Amino acid sequence: MDWEKEINKMKVCDFDELPGPKSKEELEEMKMPFEEYCKKVFDVGNEFVKPDALKGIRWLSTTMYIFTPHSVTNLAELGAECIKVEMPRMGDPMRHTSPFNEAYLYPLHDTRPMSGTGLGFTNANSNEYYITMDYHVPEAKKLFYNLVKMSDGLTECYRHGTFDRWQQGYRTLMEINPRFIYVWGGGFGYGPKIFGGSYDILGQAHAGLASVTGAHEDFGGHATKATNWCIDWYSGSQITTAILAALYWRSKTGLGTMIEFSQVQAATRCLGYTAPLYGKFGIVRQRWGNWDTQLCVHGIVMTGKTDFPDAINPQDKFESRYVVLSAFQDADFQELCNIIKKPDLFSRYKTHKERVGAPAQIEIYKAIEDWAADKTRSEVVRIFRDAGLLAMPVMNDREVYESEHFRIRGTVRWNDDPLFGDVLIQSAYSAGLMSRTPRKHKWLWRPVGADNVKIYHELLGVPMSKIKELYEKGIL
Amino acid sequence: MTDIIWCKKEIGGKPCNTVNYLDPYCFWNWEGKTACAECGTVYYIHMIQGHMYEGPIEKPGEEPDMRPLYADKPLEGYANYLPGIEGRTRPYHCLPRHIYLGKADMVKFSIRGRPVRGWRPQPPSAGVAGSFGYFWDIEKLSPEVWEEYQEKLKKGEVKDW
Repeated sequence: MDWEKEINKMKVCDFDELPGPKSKEELEEMKMPFEEYCKKVFDVGNEFVKPDALKGIRWLSTTMYIFTPHSVTNLAELGAECIKVEMPRMGDPMRHTSPFNEAYLYPLHDTRPMSGTGLGFTNANSNEYYITMDYHVPEAKKLFYNLVKMSDGLTECYRHGTFDRWQQGYRTLMEINPRFIYVWGGGFGYGPKIFGGSYDILGQAHAGLASVTGAHEDFGGHATKATNWCIDWYSGSQITTAILAALYWRSKTGLGTMIEFSQVQAATRCLGYTAPLYGKFGIVRQRWGNWDTQLCVHGIVMTGKTDFPDAINPQDKFESRYVVLSAFQDADFQELCNIIKKPDLFSRYKTHKERVGAPAQIEIYKAIEDWAADKTRSEVVRIFRDAGLLAMPVMNDREVYESEHFRIRGTVRWNDDPLFGDVLIQSAYSAGLMSRTPRKHKWLWRPVGADNVKIYHELLGVPMSKIKELYEKGIL
Repeated sequence: MTDIIWCKKEIGGKPCNTVNYLDPYCFWNWEGKTACAECGTVYYIHMIQGHMYEGPIEKPGEEPDMRPLYADKPLEGYANYLPGIEGRTRPYHCLPRHIYLGKADMVKFSIRGRPVRGWRPQPPSAGVAGSFGYFWDIEKLSPEVWEEYQEKLKKGEVKDW
């Protein structure tokens, strides 16, 4: 027919000649394996060709240490423009809270050539712009209000009512900018302990977390804090969740929110069933160290020999002898008993309910460690893995760096920092991967007041002469 | 405390009266010669399980094997010799000591051999009101480190990981 000829003429190409699947079945066949798919969509190492999720959001960070700064750096890694406000010439005290022995990066500020910023500052302040301001001076207050007018929100960490007293709390700022989202990350928050500042360790202690961390006193343990400031990091991320919810709410209502975030309160959330357990039975949860109260075998055991006896570093030389073992299902536990040549253990503790009790755990873990007394960590891991059981060496920092898994995923990577040179980081890449708008690490941090001109002059339009004058007066 | 040697050696017509402390960490099971921190008199001792089994016996003219950890003079208002005084008390030889001597390790290169801005003092390099650009021109600001880096590159000491 004529119209068929006409249509064929109009075709620019033939469907059958096109590359790609021709049927649903063929499509399924041609799909790449999931591993390949993940590698392609996450494309580790090429994050910078993708857009930023939070581009367009501007956030102020009047914060110190780790807890509240981390809530802002989460936004900065996702693409928000974040401005950190610090004390003139001094900066965030965290800059001066370094690990031992000159773990600093220089410069801090031209007026202090012998001071640097300690590596403890890492990860809590990446990708931000750094300005200085003394809030107490009326001239500075005006600049602060101007910044608030042009920003979406602020995170602060001062004590109860301090910003309110300084006429820069939420009650004041919402009159200037009703869309403003305000975060007060107080240590304790409002309540009977309003005068208490907080640190991570206080959070761990006050929330009851430290009381259930570490080995039981019967085994020589004491209430223990985690070595790193995990509650600071954790609470900071919780704040970011609240900020994102507030931003979504504002997109619907046009109104800002005040977020009050108590660090000690956040730590209670990690405690899982502890409160309902007490509520139902009156039982106060105990520490159980490297073992588990609900699963057995599911814990960390010590082997007799280390993996690196000739190493110089004590972490390698003496400590590379811990293994995580998990074999709580009946068949797995039976296999474990066979491996350690104690089949009688299985005949006595055939059900999980029998072996999860305290006396049984004491006997079982001791038997495992007795068996492992003449073995190295890697031998134990290999034997258990060969038997199909879950075993994982407890790795130290160096081993994390060497780990192929983390390297492929980009979790730990080298970054050529624009100002500080070659730095090993985990930073943004230790949080989840995103296929379309991944987190990015742009820079570690910048010196105190490094962006004074960029923000005060280029953003707020303050004349350069005025900036110089304020700087000389010590207000900036 | 394992034991002490109360040195009664006559020095200048009066007894030395220095108490030398033999710490259990080194002297618990030990046989050898030690010396008074004040007058330097050498004593042979043999200790078993923290107990002075033999000695102290004077060994004039011989060199001590190990010095006491600490010494004081209780009859003279507790003048003392703290640990780590050369020629008197035992010097530190334990592993961490060298990093507590007040000398910082000024790192110029990361563990893979590339420059990292971690030394002091830094030359002033900020602009107006302490502002900084986004590029550290190492060749211009730290030419000596740049030179060192070029040498490392030539020697193949710069790695990727």
